[in-house]
Amino acid sequence: MREDTGRRERGEGPSGPSPLRSSPGPASRRHLLSAQRRFGWWLLLPSLIMLAANSIFPLLYAVGVSTKAYQMLIPGPRRFVGLANYIQALQDPLVWHSLAVTLYFVGGVLVLQFPAGLGLALLLHRLPRRQELVATLLLIPTILSASVVGFQWVQLYNYEFGPLNYLLALLHLGQPTWTADPHLALPALIFVDFWEWTPFMTLLLFAGLRSLPPQIVDAARVDGSTPWQVVWRVFLPLLRPIIGIALILRIIMAFKLFDIVYVLTAGGPGIATESLAFYTYIQGFRYFNMGYASALSILQLILITILAKLLLRLTRRPPIGGFIPQEAPL
Amino acid sequence: MRPRHGIHLADVGSYTLLGIALIVFLFPVYWMLATSLKPPGEWLTRPPVFWPSTIHWENFTDALIKWGGLKGLRDSLIVASLSTAISMVVGVPAAYSLGRYRTGGENLSFIILSVLFMPPVAVAIPMYLFWSRLGLIDTYTALVGQYTVFNIPFIAWVLKSFFEDIPREMEESAVVNGATRWRAFWEIAVPLARPSIVAVTLLAFIFSWNEFFFAVILTRARVTTLPFILPTLMEGHNVLWGDIAAIATLGAVPVVVLAFLLQRYLVRGLSFGTVRER
Repeated sequence: MREDTGRRERGEGPSGPSPLRSSPGPASRRHLLSAQRRFGWWLLLPSLIMLAANSIFPLLYAVGVSTKAYQMLIPGPRRFVGLANYIQALQDPLVWHSLAVTLYFVGGVLVLQFPAGLGLALLLHRLPRRQELVATLLLIPTILSASVVGFQWVQLYNYEFGPLNYLLALLHLGQPTWTADPHLALPALIFVDFWEWTPFMTLLLFAGLRSLPPQIVDAARVDGSTPWQVVWRVFLPLLRPIIGIALILRIIMAFKLFDIVYVLTAGGPGIATESLAFYTYIQGFRYFNMGYASALSILQLILITILAKLLLRLTRRPPIGGFIPQEAPL
Repeated sequence: MRPRHGIHLADVGSYTLLGIALIVFLFPVYWMLATSLKPPGEWLTRPPVFWPSTIHWENFTDALIKWGGLKGLRDSLIVASLSTAISMVVGVPAAYSLGRYRTGGENLSFIILSVLFMPPVAVAIPMYLFWSRLGLIDTYTALVGQYTVFNIPFIAWVLKSFFEDIPREMEESAVVNGATRWRAFWEIAVPLARPSIVAVTLLAFIFSWNEFFFAVILTRARVTTLPFILPTLMEGHNVLWGDIAAIATLGAVPVVVLAFLLQRYLVRGLSFGTVRER
């Protein structure tokens, strides 16, 4: 998300494209510029139309539906109810419960995945050979379909026949019911997400480590810094942009928690793992309360937008020490 | 970062830790593979069977024929390849436009990226109503259309960063020498970006192949992709673990193979082009 000011073309000014330099007067120059700009828009147009048709239109439509008493199973005209659905959402204890579940999940994701991801990235970076191979092997959980991941963990968490409980029994550590235990179900999902996405964190941080200029690391070494100091004072500040990207991507993805809930717990036991997205799904596709579910969707969209904006602002501050590896292809 | 000479204690420690990590992250995958090859008597046992006594290929034939695996494979393949193809045709010019001409500025780029950040449920309800009004629920069209829309911003962002990395001089001199901008794009920039275009194509294919949420919402019984049938089998016949594991394996193998082919591009692709490796 870093913009490359050096190569950036504003379409005007001395840094304009070179074909313009050969053009004589300002009039034809403006003509060329607008031709180029028009060409750019033509290339982009099909995408914009498709994106608008499939995201902006549905959003506006959802805003419309969210102001109506829209029950799919009840035919007839949909009554306009203004903000009633939104007010109902804010007063719905299940909404607050699912928000708490979602935030707990996001928190768990961050607390576990960032340190583990960084640790693994540092270990990978120390490997003298075969770094790519090991990185790709580690990454297998990330690239599998959520439904395949869900199946694997249904097997592993199985109370009676699962290998996990077998190992715990060998160690005399008890036989938890995992996804059927109201207190363990959400941590169990957090662990599945940890398993699925920590390698992703590792991969990004590892890419960041590799792009650091080796001189800087060596200089820090020669200074007699301990490995911890190198990590804290050199790596972390330099990696800040990439850490920011990794955390933003993970937070936003975690906030959308749905797939593994659907496959592993269906929101249960009871409502213990009902995330915001899953609760919205139930309202929309089990009870067909389209008006209410749309209002819930819009509220989530607002929440996620605010969250993304805040996170972007936090990570845009320049790293400590003012060194930004602009030319290092981060 | 390399040890200068000899084996340090720290190295032993770090190799051990990495080894443990590899076991933790690969064991569930191994377990799926092992189950898919176990004979029925070893699917549900206590203690569990860690190594199949014989290789029981019948799980795969049953999965393919009895449990709709063949249909799942076919539908996944159709949906993933069609949506990848359409979104590449639309997305590559868009990526070029954003990367080369900065069309619409950084703001437009971010708006396009933000489509990827939208919670799928927020889109799901209106899109469900939209497709059902058109009578297209449970058709290839709906799934292909939906996946295409999610692939486009992905392709645009990842390829934009690749196009930015290609020096522009060749295209410029072509334009100076009278080539149209379209030819500069199509005959110079695209061939130069070919390896990254191939990589992005495969990544878009992986995303469509894996997609689960919209498959659940937009399909019922006629279009059944592999990720869609897996949970339905788990509900219906949860004793047939070997067969289900075979289906899951069918869903996993192509993706893993592609990931190994794409090693060099994984960082950029998975971070939507926001992280550039050297």
